[in-house]
Amino acid sequence: MTSTQVLSSSDSMVYSHAIGICTMRGRGFYCPVDTVIDPSGRILVLNRSIDRDIEGIRVTVCGPNSEFYMVFGHGGTGNGEFIWPSSITCDRSGNSYIADQYLNRISIFDPEGKFISNWGTEGSLPGQFNGPSGLAMDPDDNLLVVDHLNNRIQKYTARGEYMSQFGSSGPAEGELDMPWGIDVNYKGEIFIADWRNDRIQVFSTNGDFIAKFGESGQENGQLNRPSSVTVDTQGLIYIADWGNERIQILDKEGNFVTKLRGDAGLSKWADEFMTANVDEATARENSEMEPNLPHLKNDPHEESSHIEKLFWGPVSVNIDSAGKLYVTESNRHRIQVYDWSR
Amino acid sequence: MSTSDLKLIAHLMRRAGFGATRQELKEFVSKGYESVVEDLLHPGDPENLPDDLIRRYHPDHSELRFLYSAAGYWLYRMITTSNPLEEKLTLFWHGLFATGYSKLNQARSLLNQIDMFRVNGLGNFSEILLQLSKDPAMLLWLDNNDNHKGAINENFGRELLELFSMGIGNYSEQDIKEASRAFTGWTLGNVDYMAMRASKDSIWPYGRIAWHFEYRPDDHDNGEKTFLGETGNFNGEQIIDLIAKDEATARFVSTRLFQFFAADTVGEKEQETIESMMKSYFDSNYEIRSVLRTLFNSSYFKSEKARYSRIKGPVEQIVGAIHLAGSYSTPTIGIEEVAQQAFYMGQGLLEPPTVEGWHEGEEWIDSGALVERTNFASSEVGNLDSPGVRTMIQNICTNNGGSMSPETVVDKCLDMLGAFDVSEKTLSALVGHVSRSGNIDLNDNDEFENSENRLAEVFRLITASPDFQRA
Repeated sequence: MTSTQVLSSSDSMVYSHAIGICTMRGRGFYCPVDTVIDPSGRILVLNRSIDRDIEGIRVTVCGPNSEFYMVFGHGGTGNGEFIWPSSITCDRSGNSYIADQYLNRISIFDPEGKFISNWGTEGSLPGQFNGPSGLAMDPDDNLLVVDHLNNRIQKYTARGEYMSQFGSSGPAEGELDMPWGIDVNYKGEIFIADWRNDRIQVFSTNGDFIAKFGESGQENGQLNRPSSVTVDTQGLIYIADWGNERIQILDKEGNFVTKLRGDAGLSKWADEFMTANVDEATARENSEMEPNLPHLKNDPHEESSHIEKLFWGPVSVNIDSAGKLYVTESNRHRIQVYDWSR
Repeated sequence: MSTSDLKLIAHLMRRAGFGATRQELKEFVSKGYESVVEDLLHPGDPENLPDDLIRRYHPDHSELRFLYSAAGYWLYRMITTSNPLEEKLTLFWHGLFATGYSKLNQARSLLNQIDMFRVNGLGNFSEILLQLSKDPAMLLWLDNNDNHKGAINENFGRELLELFSMGIGNYSEQDIKEASRAFTGWTLGNVDYMAMRASKDSIWPYGRIAWHFEYRPDDHDNGEKTFLGETGNFNGEQIIDLIAKDEATARFVSTRLFQFFAADTVGEKEQETIESMMKSYFDSNYEIRSVLRTLFNSSYFKSEKARYSRIKGPVEQIVGAIHLAGSYSTPTIGIEEVAQQAFYMGQGLLEPPTVEGWHEGEEWIDSGALVERTNFASSEVGNLDSPGVRTMIQNICTNNGGSMSPETVVDKCLDMLGAFDVSEKTLSALVGHVSRSGNIDLNDNDEFENSENRLAEVFRLITASPDFQRA
């Protein structure tokens, strides 16, 4: 089974490696919901954990080759703590911004993970939140917040001062239905994963509607609850097609380019676990890890629960400075990294 | 709408579901009893809290690795479903074919089994047994992965006959051995690795891997077998066919359904209804839907004697109270704590104590469980912030002008809690309590907050009564 398709006669997206292991503390990930790559190339993984395990709520900071640096953050309601952390982004100084969709606030941390400040109150007035679920910095280092239950995007200064908003509830062009992820290209155009409308919408810096891509379905170019979107320097659009358990890549006009279904092998940390647990490693080697389950082909969520290498809960997509794609999976507690083979 | 029609349908919904709100009962009564029974028996696609919403807010409900996450996920379904019988019957099969997390460490595969009950639960009983015999969670739970050609493990074969279909005394020890031989080779894929992960509770490297059924012909004993007096080269399917057509199976299944849906205890009078259910079992080629139709339309089920003759199980108590309160209708923090409450009351979903399931009836109630049951129900139904409670109070306000006597207050509150009945003793105690503070006047704006609190207090007192422990 291969999930990599040919872009052109010479270009294809190729699986590189995996990062991560399922752990409730320290090195590893635990129901990760978002990832950001900071200006120094470190990967910050936001772990949602489970409601009953506040120790597992944390940010894991690691490197692209599985270097482990530190964790910061904690479950709770105090400063620097979270209940339902939902999104993370970074400014040009390497400060990280984390949204909490339960506490309706944004928290800021310095590059060492030290808490700086937070802001936010529940409501629907300008400057208030009802479930902040996606964050992105624009080219001027202003913070865009997807305020998903208010079906709008709000813009703030990096210090949390309200600037403007756009968006309203509905299925029409420019309207939103429980939007989730967000990205901004070098021109300042804003890409929104319009989750319950099964599409990506593009807006100008001022919030004017520009374009929409996708419709409900499982075919190429169709989407099922997209959770995240990012854009590379070539203008290619990478979408976490969350409900279809896959990644889709569109060109700048929104035409289908390719799709990925997942190819994970053992990460460095996973390999270390297997080396230390020979009995499990041996049993694994003797197993068919890609069983033929044709009855699950139309149910990608269930199929992914059976076949470990496939994406399962691909919730977040990021592109690094070299153009590599990082796919964060909530249900497999890992990141799959892909690169263009040109 | 006659009071007797209302009370009868309220009874049906307490048994075939988890109770109904007053608004729901009004709609059901307008349809008529037999029509409501048919709707329950032909559920169609359910409307319930959508999976995408649950998974977005609860990533752990998406993976379904944890016991309480999985139990919470199922509770969302029970609380919000438009197909209450489908969920209630699924709960019945879960209790009958009890499979537990503690040995498996695989909540997702347990929920796959629950899904199988949901899909097949009203259908053909032999198909239910066949799917159960291919269910990976059941196979590992009862060690059929260790049941090999030439070296049988009788655990699954024994419980299939004793606890799942015929009941003890209706087969021989040799029948158990022959059935076990027929199920050799029925196992799960990658069984060694999966069994090792289960025994070590391993989540590494990337969480659980869901299980799938695998038939290994090379490990199947294809030799001649004699089972329940018939001889052949039986595989599992033929064993199940022979079980399904046996009268002992019809009696076993009908009796267990009767005890779950009609009455905790079965006497001479009740046998008549069970005989009718058995006849429906055979007439319909073993269809559970037909058996239940016969039960729900029986004169016994509709009789006064059947009313409040069952002790509610903890899950019925919890889901019923939440349904009345209208809470947990959207994903929110706390559903796993609700799942834990069921454990404290003695019925942890996906974790029955043994393969025998739960001991039901009066065994649900002990002093500790009673406190938990009462506290939970009263906190839900007495919470003025809950939308269902607001609706109940609004309805009482809308339908009653001026001052209400204590008798009227209690009567209205009982009506709002699903046309609920209590004993004379409980009624007297409730009226006596309200009387101490006099009439309630919901039109007196200055007193409205106090009046609301007094109504909520009556709701809480009703849920704390012995009567509310029964369905």
